[in-house]
Amino acid sequence: MIGITLNFGLSSLSGWHCATTLINGRTGILISDAEYLKKLLVQCSLGNRRAFETLYRSVAPRLYSVALHCMGRRDLAEEVVQESFVRIWHNAARYEPRLSAPLTWMVTITRHQAIDQLRKQRELPLSDLQQEALADEGLGADEQLDTARKAKALNQCLEQLEGKQRQTITSAYFHGHSASELAEQLAAPLGSVKSWIRRGMERLRRCLES
Amino acid sequence: MNYQTPSLRRALAADYAIGLMPSGARKRFEQLLLDDAGLREELAAWQTTLVRLTDTLGQDPVPDHVWRGIVARIEPQKLHVPVKPPFWNWLRVTAAACTVVIAVAVGVLTTRDSITYTATLLSGTAQPTLRIEAHADYLNVKPLQLAAVDSGRSLQLWAIPAGGNPVSLGLLPATGDCKIQLNASQQQLLASNVVLAVSLEPEGGSPSGQPTGPVLYQGPLAAL
Repeated sequence: MIGITLNFGLSSLSGWHCATTLINGRTGILISDAEYLKKLLVQCSLGNRRAFETLYRSVAPRLYSVALHCMGRRDLAEEVVQESFVRIWHNAARYEPRLSAPLTWMVTITRHQAIDQLRKQRELPLSDLQQEALADEGLGADEQLDTARKAKALNQCLEQLEGKQRQTITSAYFHGHSASELAEQLAAPLGSVKSWIRRGMERLRRCLES
Repeated sequence: MNYQTPSLRRALAADYAIGLMPSGARKRFEQLLLDDAGLREELAAWQTTLVRLTDTLGQDPVPDHVWRGIVARIEPQKLHVPVKPPFWNWLRVTAAACTVVIAVAVGVLTTRDSITYTATLLSGTAQPTLRIEAHADYLNVKPLQLAAVDSGRSLQLWAIPAGGNPVSLGLLPATGDCKIQLNASQQQLLASNVVLAVSLEPEGGSPSGQPTGPVLYQGPLAAL
Protein backbone atom coordinates (compact mmCIF):
# COMPACT_ATOMS: atom_id res chain seq x y z
CA MET A 1 0.00 0.00 0.00
CA ILE A 2 2.61 2.47 1.13
CA GLY A 3 5.14 0.91 -1.24
CA ILE A 4 2.86 1.80 -4.13
CA THR A 5 2.40 5.38 -2.99
CA LEU A 6 6.15 5.76 -3.02
CA ASN A 7 6.53 4.46 -6.58
CA PHE A 8 6.79 7.88 -8.16
CA GLY A 9 9.39 9.17 -10.62
CA LEU A 10 12.29 7.06 -9.45
CA SER A 11 14.81 8.85 -11.61
CA SER A 12 14.31 12.20 -9.92
CA LEU A 13 16.44 13.09 -6.96
CA SER A 14 13.70 15.09 -5.31
CA GLY A 15 11.64 11.90 -5.27
CA TRP A 16 14.28 10.21 -3.16
CA HIS A 17 14.38 13.06 -0.77
CA CYS A 18 10.64 12.71 -0.33
CA ALA A 19 10.86 8.96 0.21
CA THR A 20 13.49 9.39 2.90
CA THR A 21 11.41 11.96 4.68
CA LEU A 22 8.48 9.61 4.77
CA ILE A 23 10.64 6.84 6.15
CA ASN A 24 11.99 9.09 8.86
CA GLY A 25 8.41 9.99 9.68
CA ARG A 26 7.88 6.37 10.80
CA THR A 27 5.91 5.42 7.73
CA GLY A 28 8.09 2.71 6.30
CA ILE A 29 8.03 0.65 3.16
CA LEU A 30 6.81 -2.92 3.12
CA ILE A 31 9.94 -4.97 2.73
CA SER A 32 7.84 -7.48 0.83
CA ASP A 33 7.57 -4.93 -2.00
CA ALA A 34 10.23 -6.57 -4.16
CA GLU A 35 9.79 -4.24 -7.13
CA TYR A 36 10.44 -1.21 -4.97
CA LEU A 37 13.54 -2.77 -3.40
CA LYS A 38 14.83 -3.67 -6.89
CA LYS A 39 14.53 -0.04 -7.97
CA LEU A 40 16.37 1.06 -4.85
CA LEU A 41 19.19 -1.40 -5.61
CA VAL A 42 19.47 -0.07 -9.19
CA GLN A 43 19.75 3.45 -7.78
CA CYS A 44 22.40 2.26 -5.29
CA SER A 45 24.43 0.79 -8.15
CA LEU A 46 24.34 4.28 -9.74
CA GLY A 47 25.77 5.75 -6.56
CA ASN A 48 22.52 7.28 -5.26
CA ARG A 49 23.13 7.74 -1.54
CA ARG A 50 19.54 8.75 -0.76
CA ALA A 51 18.25 5.55 -2.31
CA PHE A 52 20.77 3.66 -0.20
CA GLU A 53 19.54 5.33 2.96
CA THR A 54 15.93 4.53 2.02
CA LEU A 55 16.95 0.93 1.41
CA TYR A 56 18.72 0.85 4.78
CA ARG A 57 15.70 2.24 6.63
CA SER A 58 13.50 -0.35 4.91
CA VAL A 59 15.49 -3.55 5.33
CA ALA A 60 18.02 -2.96 8.15
CA PRO A 61 15.56 -3.98 10.93
CA ARG A 62 14.95 -7.26 9.13
CA LEU A 63 18.64 -7.93 8.46
CA TYR A 64 19.43 -7.01 12.06
CA SER A 65 16.90 -9.55 13.24
CA VAL A 66 18.54 -12.23 11.06
CA ALA A 67 22.02 -11.23 12.27
CA LEU A 68 20.82 -11.30 15.88
CA HIS A 69 19.38 -14.76 15.43
CA CYS A 70 22.73 -15.95 14.02
CA MET A 71 25.08 -14.13 16.39
CA GLY A 72 23.04 -14.08 19.61
CA ARG A 73 24.70 -10.81 20.71
CA ARG A 74 23.57 -7.30 19.81
CA ASP A 75 27.09 -5.84 19.43
CA LEU A 76 28.17 -8.63 17.08
CA ALA A 77 24.89 -8.43 15.14
CA GLU A 78 25.41 -4.67 14.70
CA GLU A 79 28.85 -5.30 13.19
CA VAL A 80 27.35 -7.87 10.84
CA VAL A 81 24.64 -5.43 9.70
CA GLN A 82 27.22 -2.69 9.15
CA GLU A 83 29.47 -4.95 7.08
CA SER A 84 26.48 -6.30 5.15
CA PHE A 85 25.35 -2.82 4.09
CA VAL A 86 28.88 -1.82 3.04
CA ARG A 87 28.78 -4.90 0.77
CA ILE A 88 25.27 -4.18 -0.47
CA TRP A 89 26.40 -0.66 -1.46
CA HIS A 90 29.52 -1.83 -3.29
CA ASN A 91 27.88 -4.86 -4.89
CA ALA A 92 24.47 -3.47 -5.85
CA ALA A 93 25.34 -3.75 -9.57
CA ARG A 94 25.97 -7.47 -9.08
CA TYR A 95 22.44 -8.19 -7.88
CA GLU A 96 20.72 -10.31 -10.56
CA PRO A 97 16.95 -9.67 -10.33
CA ARG A 98 16.31 -12.66 -12.62
CA LEU A 99 17.75 -15.04 -10.02
CA SER A 100 16.33 -14.00 -6.68
CA ALA A 101 14.22 -11.48 -4.82
CA PRO A 102 16.14 -8.45 -3.50
CA LEU A 103 15.48 -9.37 0.12
CA THR A 104 16.74 -12.92 -0.49
CA TRP A 105 19.95 -11.47 -1.92
CA MET A 106 20.41 -9.13 1.05
CA VAL A 107 19.56 -11.76 3.70
CA THR A 108 22.04 -14.12 2.01
CA ILE A 109 24.77 -11.46 2.25
CA THR A 110 23.95 -10.91 5.93
CA ARG A 111 23.90 -14.61 6.70
CA HIS A 112 27.27 -15.08 4.97
CA GLN A 113 28.76 -12.25 7.01
CA ALA A 114 27.31 -13.72 10.19
CA ILE A 115 28.54 -17.26 9.71
CA ASP A 116 31.98 -16.03 8.62
CA GLN A 117 32.20 -14.18 11.94
CA LEU A 118 30.80 -17.14 13.88
CA ARG A 119 33.30 -19.52 12.33
CA LYS A 120 36.11 -17.13 13.30
CA GLN A 121 34.82 -16.84 16.87
CA ARG A 122 33.81 -20.46 17.33
CA GLU A 123 35.88 -20.75 20.49
CA LEU A 124 33.65 -18.21 22.31
CA PRO A 125 30.81 -19.78 24.34
CA LEU A 126 27.28 -19.58 22.95
CA SER A 127 25.20 -16.99 24.74
CA ASP A 128 21.72 -17.56 26.10
CA LEU A 129 20.27 -15.15 23.59
CA GLN A 130 21.40 -17.37 20.74
CA GLN A 131 19.09 -20.15 21.86
CA GLU A 132 16.24 -17.82 22.62
CA ALA A 133 13.49 -16.97 20.17
CA LEU A 134 13.46 -13.19 19.75
CA ALA A 135 10.20 -11.36 20.10
CA ASP A 136 8.89 -9.29 17.20
CA GLU A 137 9.11 -5.59 17.89
CA GLY A 138 7.75 -2.56 16.14
CA LEU A 139 6.06 -4.32 13.24
CA GLY A 140 3.26 -2.67 11.30
CA ALA A 141 -0.02 -4.58 11.07
CA ASP A 142 0.50 -5.45 7.39
CA GLU A 143 4.00 -6.67 8.02
CA GLN A 144 2.84 -8.78 10.93
CA LEU A 145 0.15 -10.41 8.81
CA ASP A 146 2.63 -11.08 6.06
CA THR A 147 5.18 -12.54 8.48
CA ALA A 148 2.52 -14.70 10.11
CA ARG A 149 1.28 -16.03 6.77
CA LYS A 150 4.77 -16.90 5.55
CA ALA A 151 5.76 -18.32 8.92
CA LYS A 152 2.73 -20.60 8.85
CA ALA A 153 3.84 -22.08 5.51
CA LEU A 154 7.38 -22.45 6.82
CA ASN A 155 6.25 -24.11 10.03
CA GLN A 156 4.04 -26.56 8.15
CA CYS A 157 6.99 -27.52 5.96
CA LEU A 158 9.40 -27.72 8.89
CA GLU A 159 6.92 -30.04 10.65
CA GLN A 160 7.17 -32.46 7.76
CA LEU A 161 10.90 -32.85 8.39
CA GLU A 162 12.31 -35.36 10.82
CA GLY A 163 13.70 -33.86 14.00
CA LYS A 164 17.32 -34.45 12.99
CA GLN A 165 16.76 -32.95 9.56
CA ARG A 166 15.22 -29.81 11.05
CA GLN A 167 17.86 -29.46 13.72
CA THR A 168 20.85 -29.92 11.42
CA ILE A 169 19.50 -27.59 8.72
CA THR A 170 18.70 -24.70 11.07
CA SER A 171 21.96 -25.13 12.94
CA ALA A 172 24.00 -25.12 9.72
CA TYR A 173 22.02 -22.22 8.26
CA PHE A 174 21.95 -19.85 11.21
CA HIS A 175 25.13 -20.77 13.04
CA GLY A 176 27.36 -22.00 10.23
CA HIS A 177 28.09 -25.32 11.89
CA SER A 178 29.93 -27.70 9.58
CA ALA A 179 28.78 -31.29 9.08
CA SER A 180 31.67 -32.54 11.22
CA GLU A 181 30.84 -30.11 14.07
CA LEU A 182 27.22 -31.26 13.93
CA ALA A 183 28.31 -34.90 13.90
CA GLU A 184 30.32 -34.26 17.06
CA GLN A 185 27.49 -32.34 18.80
CA LEU A 186 24.91 -34.98 17.98
CA ALA A 187 27.29 -37.93 18.46
CA ALA A 188 26.26 -39.20 15.02
CA PRO A 189 28.29 -40.45 12.04
CA LEU A 190 29.36 -37.73 9.59
CA GLY A 191 27.65 -39.51 6.69
CA SER A 192 24.32 -39.53 8.54
CA VAL A 193 24.53 -35.82 9.30
CA LYS A 194 25.25 -35.00 5.65
CA SER A 195 22.34 -37.12 4.47
CA TRP A 196 19.94 -35.60 7.07
CA ILE A 197 20.80 -32.15 5.77
CA ARG A 198 20.66 -33.04 2.07
CA ARG A 199 17.39 -34.98 2.29
CA GLY A 200 15.90 -32.41 4.62
CA MET A 201 16.75 -29.59 2.22
CA GLU A 202 15.15 -31.43 -0.71
CA ARG A 203 11.99 -32.03 1.31
CA LEU A 204 11.87 -28.47 2.53
CA ARG A 205 12.30 -27.09 -0.98
CA ARG A 206 9.64 -29.34 -2.49
CA CYS A 207 7.23 -28.44 0.31
CA LEU A 208 7.83 -24.68 0.05
CA GLU A 209 7.59 -24.74 -3.75
CA SER A 210 4.30 -26.68 -3.73
CA MET B 1 34.14 -34.58 -11.77
CA ASN B 2 31.25 -34.27 -14.19
CA TYR B 3 29.46 -31.08 -13.25
CA GLN B 4 26.92 -31.46 -16.03
CA THR B 5 24.70 -34.06 -14.33
CA PRO B 6 21.60 -32.12 -13.25
CA SER B 7 21.23 -34.01 -9.98
CA LEU B 8 24.88 -33.48 -9.08
CA ARG B 9 24.68 -29.79 -9.90
CA ARG B 10 21.60 -29.46 -7.72
CA ALA B 11 23.27 -31.36 -4.88
CA LEU B 12 26.49 -29.32 -5.09
CA ALA B 13 24.54 -26.07 -5.13
CA ALA B 14 22.61 -27.27 -2.05
CA ASP B 15 25.82 -28.14 -0.18
CA TYR B 16 27.30 -24.75 -1.06
CA ALA B 17 24.14 -22.85 -0.10
CA ILE B 18 23.85 -24.37 3.38
CA GLY B 19 27.61 -24.33 3.96
CA LEU B 20 28.50 -28.02 3.92
CA MET B 21 31.52 -27.63 1.66
CA PRO B 22 35.04 -27.52 3.07
CA SER B 23 36.91 -24.36 2.04
CA GLY B 24 38.81 -25.95 -0.90
CA ALA B 25 35.63 -27.27 -2.49
CA ARG B 26 33.91 -23.95 -1.78
CA LYS B 27 36.58 -22.04 -3.74
CA ARG B 28 36.35 -24.48 -6.67
CA PHE B 29 32.58 -24.11 -6.69
CA GLU B 30 32.90 -20.31 -6.69
CA GLN B 31 35.19 -20.58 -9.73
CA LEU B 32 32.55 -22.69 -11.50
CA LEU B 33 29.86 -20.14 -10.61
CA LEU B 34 31.74 -17.37 -12.43
CA ASP B 35 31.28 -19.10 -15.79
CA ASP B 36 28.08 -21.00 -15.33
CA ALA B 37 24.85 -19.01 -15.33
CA GLY B 38 22.81 -22.22 -14.91
CA LEU B 39 24.71 -23.07 -11.74
CA ARG B 40 24.08 -19.55 -10.40
CA GLU B 41 20.36 -20.19 -11.00
CA GLU B 42 20.58 -23.51 -9.17
CA LEU B 43 22.26 -21.81 -6.23
CA ALA B 44 19.75 -18.94 -6.20
CA ALA B 45 16.88 -21.46 -6.03
CA TRP B 46 18.42 -23.00 -2.90
CA GLN B 47 19.06 -19.60 -1.37
CA THR B 48 15.42 -18.73 -1.99
CA THR B 49 14.37 -21.91 -0.16
CA LEU B 50 16.76 -21.36 2.73
CA VAL B 51 15.84 -17.71 3.18
CA ARG B 52 12.38 -18.96 4.12
CA LEU B 53 13.95 -20.19 7.38
CA THR B 54 14.04 -16.51 8.36
CA ASP B 55 10.27 -16.10 7.77
CA THR B 56 9.54 -16.37 11.47
CA LEU B 57 12.02 -13.65 12.37
CA GLY B 58 10.54 -10.19 12.71
CA GLN B 59 12.31 -6.87 12.65
CA ASP B 60 14.46 -5.31 15.33
CA PRO B 61 15.11 -1.57 15.63
CA VAL B 62 18.73 -0.91 14.73
CA PRO B 63 20.74 1.48 16.93
CA ASP B 64 21.59 4.78 15.16
CA HIS B 65 25.34 4.31 15.38
CA VAL B 66 25.15 1.43 12.89
CA TRP B 67 24.09 3.78 10.07
CA ARG B 68 26.78 6.29 11.05
CA GLY B 69 29.34 3.46 10.90
CA ILE B 70 28.17 2.48 7.42
CA VAL B 71 28.37 6.07 6.17
CA ALA B 72 31.89 6.40 7.55
CA ARG B 73 32.88 3.23 5.70
CA ILE B 74 31.49 4.18 2.30
CA GLU B 75 32.41 7.85 2.21
CA PRO B 76 35.73 8.73 0.60
CA GLN B 77 38.48 9.11 3.19
CA LYS B 78 39.34 12.71 4.09
CA LEU B 79 43.07 13.37 4.16
CA HIS B 80 44.47 15.27 7.11
CA VAL B 81 47.43 17.28 5.83
CA PRO B 82 49.57 18.87 8.57
CA VAL B 83 49.97 22.66 8.45
CA LYS B 84 53.20 23.74 6.78
CA PRO B 85 55.24 26.90 7.58
CA PRO B 86 54.10 29.96 5.54
CA PHE B 87 57.34 30.30 3.53
CA TRP B 88 56.98 26.82 2.07
CA ASN B 89 53.33 27.50 1.41
CA TRP B 90 54.22 30.66 -0.48
CA LEU B 91 56.85 28.81 -2.46
CA ARG B 92 54.47 25.97 -3.20
CA VAL B 93 51.67 28.27 -4.27
CA THR B 94 54.06 30.11 -6.62
CA ALA B 95 55.34 26.83 -8.03
CA ALA B 96 51.81 25.51 -8.43
CA ALA B 97 50.72 28.73 -10.14
CA CYS B 98 53.66 28.52 -12.57
CA THR B 99 52.82 24.90 -13.29
CA VAL B 100 49.21 25.78 -13.99
CA VAL B 101 50.19 28.64 -16.31
CA ILE B 102 52.57 26.39 -18.25
CA ALA B 103 50.08 23.53 -18.34
CA VAL B 104 47.29 25.76 -19.60
CA ALA B 105 49.58 27.34 -22.20
CA VAL B 106 50.74 23.94 -23.42
CA GLY B 107 47.17 22.66 -23.31
CA VAL B 108 45.80 25.55 -25.35
CA LEU B 109 48.67 25.39 -27.84
CA THR B 110 48.48 21.64 -28.41
CA THR B 111 45.09 20.03 -27.96
CA ARG B 112 41.77 20.74 -26.34
CA ASP B 113 41.54 17.32 -24.77
CA SER B 114 39.93 17.61 -21.36
CA ILE B 115 38.58 14.85 -19.16
CA THR B 116 34.83 15.18 -18.74
CA TYR B 117 34.00 12.18 -16.55
CA THR B 118 35.89 9.69 -14.44
CA ALA B 119 35.11 6.37 -12.80
CA THR B 120 37.01 4.11 -10.46
CA LEU B 121 35.81 0.54 -10.83
CA LEU B 122 35.79 -1.57 -7.68
CA SER B 123 35.96 -5.32 -7.25
CA GLY B 124 33.49 -7.31 -5.16
CA THR B 125 35.61 -6.69 -2.09
CA ALA B 126 35.64 -2.93 -2.80
CA GLN B 127 39.26 -2.89 -4.04
CA PRO B 128 39.91 -0.19 -6.68
CA THR B 129 40.82 -2.11 -9.87
CA LEU B 130 40.56 0.27 -12.84
CA ARG B 131 40.57 4.03 -13.34
CA ILE B 132 38.65 5.25 -16.36
CA GLU B 133 38.73 8.81 -17.71
CA ALA B 134 36.18 9.80 -20.33
CA HIS B 135 37.45 12.35 -22.85
CA ALA B 136 35.27 13.83 -25.59
CA ASP B 137 35.58 10.89 -27.98
CA TYR B 138 37.63 8.25 -26.20
CA LEU B 139 38.13 6.52 -22.85
CA ASN B 140 41.49 6.24 -21.17
CA VAL B 141 41.64 3.04 -19.09
CA LYS B 142 44.39 2.56 -16.51
CA PRO B 143 44.78 -0.52 -14.32
CA LEU B 144 45.13 -0.03 -10.55
CA GLN B 145 45.08 -3.57 -9.14
CA LEU B 146 43.73 -5.87 -11.79
CA ALA B 147 43.40 -9.63 -11.22
CA ALA B 148 44.90 -11.90 -13.89
CA VAL B 149 42.53 -13.08 -16.64
CA ASP B 150 42.51 -16.78 -17.64
CA SER B 151 43.48 -17.51 -21.23
CA GLY B 152 40.42 -18.06 -23.35
CA ARG B 153 38.61 -15.21 -21.52
CA SER B 154 38.23 -11.53 -22.27
CA LEU B 155 37.31 -8.55 -20.13
CA GLN B 156 34.49 -6.52 -21.66
CA LEU B 157 33.58 -2.99 -20.65
CA TRP B 158 29.90 -1.97 -20.50
CA ALA B 159 27.95 1.19 -19.84
CA ILE B 160 24.74 0.49 -17.94
CA PRO B 161 22.16 3.29 -18.16
CA ALA B 162 19.61 3.69 -15.36
CA GLY B 163 16.81 1.28 -16.12
CA GLY B 164 18.29 0.19 -19.47
CA ASN B 165 20.29 -2.67 -20.93
CA PRO B 166 24.10 -2.65 -20.85
CA VAL B 167 25.83 -1.25 -23.95
CA SER B 168 29.23 -2.65 -24.87
CA LEU B 169 32.07 -0.12 -24.98
CA GLY B 170 34.61 -2.71 -26.12
CA LEU B 171 37.10 -5.27 -24.90
CA LEU B 172 39.94 -4.54 -22.51
CA PRO B 173 43.39 -6.08 -22.93
CA ALA B 174 44.48 -8.43 -20.11
CA THR B 175 46.70 -5.63 -18.74
CA GLY B 176 43.70 -3.29 -18.58
CA ASP B 177 45.79 -0.43 -20.02
CA CYS B 178 44.17 0.98 -23.18
CA LYS B 179 42.36 3.72 -25.04
CA ILE B 180 38.87 3.02 -26.37
CA GLN B 181 37.44 5.17 -29.18
CA LEU B 182 33.79 6.14 -28.67
CA ASN B 183 31.25 6.48 -31.45
CA ALA B 184 28.58 9.19 -31.37
CA SER B 185 25.91 7.08 -29.66
CA GLN B 186 28.38 5.88 -27.01
CA GLN B 187 29.43 9.48 -26.37
CA GLN B 188 25.81 10.47 -25.93
CA LEU B 189 25.19 7.53 -23.57
CA LEU B 190 28.16 8.44 -21.35
CA ALA B 191 26.78 11.94 -20.90
CA SER B 192 23.80 10.42 -19.05
CA ASN B 193 23.68 8.68 -15.69
CA VAL B 194 25.57 5.41 -16.23
CA VAL B 195 27.48 2.78 -14.34
CA LEU B 196 30.57 1.30 -15.95
CA ALA B 197 31.04 -2.42 -15.44
CA VAL B 198 33.56 -5.02 -16.57
CA SER B 199 32.32 -8.56 -17.13
CA LEU B 200 34.25 -11.77 -17.78
CA GLU B 201 33.35 -13.07 -21.24
CA PRO B 202 34.47 -15.76 -23.65
CA GLU B 203 37.55 -14.74 -25.68
CA GLY B 204 36.58 -12.08 -28.23
CA GLY B 205 33.68 -10.77 -26.16
CA SER B 206 30.08 -11.64 -25.43
CA PRO B 207 28.51 -13.57 -28.32
CA SER B 208 25.04 -12.20 -27.52
CA GLY B 209 25.77 -8.48 -27.30
CA GLN B 210 24.75 -8.54 -23.63
CA PRO B 211 26.93 -9.57 -20.66
CA THR B 212 26.95 -13.36 -20.28
CA GLY B 213 29.58 -13.70 -17.55
CA PRO B 214 29.76 -12.29 -14.04
CA VAL B 215 30.42 -8.61 -13.38
CA LEU B 216 33.92 -8.42 -11.91
CA TYR B 217 34.29 -4.68 -11.48
CA GLN B 218 31.92 -1.76 -11.46
CA GLY B 219 31.55 1.88 -10.55
CA PRO B 220 29.44 4.94 -11.45
CA LEU B 221 30.78 7.41 -14.03
CA ALA B 222 30.83 10.82 -12.37
CA ALA B 223 31.21 14.30 -13.86
CA LEU B 224 34.33 16.19 -12.80
